[in-house]
Amino acid sequence: MVAIETSGLSRYFGKTAAVEDLTLEVQTGEVLGLLGPNGAGKTTTVRMLAGMIAPTKGYAIVAGHRTDRDVEQLHEVIGMLTETPGFYNRLSAKRNLEYFAGFYSSIDSPSRQVEEYLRLMGLWERCDDKVGTFSRGMKHRLALARALMHDPQVLFLDEPTAGLDPEAAAEVRKMIRRLGEQGHTILLCTHNLTEAETLCSRIAVLHTRLLALDAPDQLRRRFFRRQLIVQLEASNAQVAQTTRKLPFVQEVREQGAELMIELTDPEHNRPELVKAIVEAGGRVLAVSEKQYPLEEVYLRLLHEETGNES
Amino acid sequence: MSRRRVRNILRKEWVLLFTDVNSALVVTLLPFLVAGQGILYIWLVFRFGSEAMLTTPVFQTALQKLAEAMPAVTQLAGAEQILVLLLNQFTFFLLLIPTVVAISVATFSIVDEKLSGSLEALLTTPVKTWELLLGKALAGAIPAVATTWVSAGVFLLVISGLGWGDLRVFVVTGGWFLTLFLLTPAVALLSFMLGVAGSSRAKDARSAQNTVLVIILPVLALIGIEITGVLWFTPLLIFMVSLVAGVADFVSLRIAVRLFQRESILVRWR
Repeated sequence: MVAIETSGLSRYFGKTAAVEDLTLEVQTGEVLGLLGPNGAGKTTTVRMLAGMIAPTKGYAIVAGHRTDRDVEQLHEVIGMLTETPGFYNRLSAKRNLEYFAGFYSSIDSPSRQVEEYLRLMGLWERCDDKVGTFSRGMKHRLALARALMHDPQVLFLDEPTAGLDPEAAAEVRKMIRRLGEQGHTILLCTHNLTEAETLCSRIAVLHTRLLALDAPDQLRRRFFRRQLIVQLEASNAQVAQTTRKLPFVQEVREQGAELMIELTDPEHNRPELVKAIVEAGGRVLAVSEKQYPLEEVYLRLLHEETGNES
Repeated sequence: MSRRRVRNILRKEWVLLFTDVNSALVVTLLPFLVAGQGILYIWLVFRFGSEAMLTTPVFQTALQKLAEAMPAVTQLAGAEQILVLLLNQFTFFLLLIPTVVAISVATFSIVDEKLSGSLEALLTTPVKTWELLLGKALAGAIPAVATTWVSAGVFLLVISGLGWGDLRVFVVTGGWFLTLFLLTPAVALLSFMLGVAGSSRAKDARSAQNTVLVIILPVLALIGIEITGVLWFTPLLIFMVSLVAGVADFVSLRIAVRLFQRESILVRWR
């Protein structure tokens, strides 16, 4: 089932395009990462999807609601974590959440709901403390509770770990992972590529236009061929030569005691390759697939785009 | 649901209002300062200026209008007639209280939320614009009206204390009650509505205050009309003015909703 659908979604500010011709689908329960440099249109996209600003062209349907028409109904079923977790600093955490909970028709008893989510976020002990006394990490957790307490079908998280210390960021990531496992559809805007890779099943790279949309491994394969790294006990020219002669091997490079091997079908060819190396006298310590950092893929995508522009 | 949301906004605004020392002082003390200033003005004019006023054409016209509205006033001495005139004018002076409180409180209502980042979070909830604006306007208008009433009560006590108690019969009239219980709430709501609308259009607190300052002008105009005796505000006229203010409340809410552009608030305010 599709939770988010956009078609030709575009937004211009004057003559400047912030987002152009964005077409994508996000399935229910999917965690989609939205990557892009500053000014790439991520926040504008999220705001359009959350019905906060209208598209200039195209449309978006989120949880079955047109974002430019059914705004009130849409806001009942989405949750949003904004980049700045704005709260009323002179009010307690509990009172802050009760205030926001009071706007949802799905919440009959705000105080009960608030207690549940404050406990979930580990903030119940501090529920009567003023939010102004909270650390940034606590405010983020509180904002996450606010985004979640009406049990939204779709969650928009804009830079959820920006500015947090490593411990708080890890905690927020753990919560996002848990939410994904619980079946929430999540759109995660982030600059943190490792975070995107660990949390998201697919990644959309945006630079005004959608440059790529795929699973992290698939994105890698667009730019890099798969390589196996065979770590030998010692450098062995005979083994390298034998390996090159194998019909399914495309390329072999030697780096000390390591062989970097490109195969036509790494999954199927791997056992035969190892067998051949052992038979040629090689003592194999480890076999692994080379992992290209997502950052390289991302940068290549952006360079391609800026190259096209220039 | 709308009623629940407006109540929700009211509760939150009141907690914020009365936990901020400056705002709480504005709402609770300013009305007494305005009322006190009015009483001082009346006392000074009565003590040192009533003879001169009796020979001034503007006040002669006003006294004539007063006599037409309350023939019993002609039984009083000239200086006392001036005092009754001044005491009656004080009723409209009370209208300054909600407008001044509105300038001080309402102007920051939206700007503050934008600056703290809470407005963006609020706009992702299902709250309707009119619910938000009405809630914020009522949150300021209700305490402002209540303190205006208290100020009116204090005013009556003070005039008794000053030995003018027997003149109360010329002050506490049908027009007095209509002004306090019909016109004041309507003007208060209008002031706060315009204040909130101005706040929603302003880019920062200072420009919000400048925008909202104009709301005091109609009240000053009413005071001016009454002082110069151009028009004597009979109960019927006060009722009509209240009705106009009530319609203006409704219209101003609609205008405020139109002026409150969620998109430009999010996109242009940085």
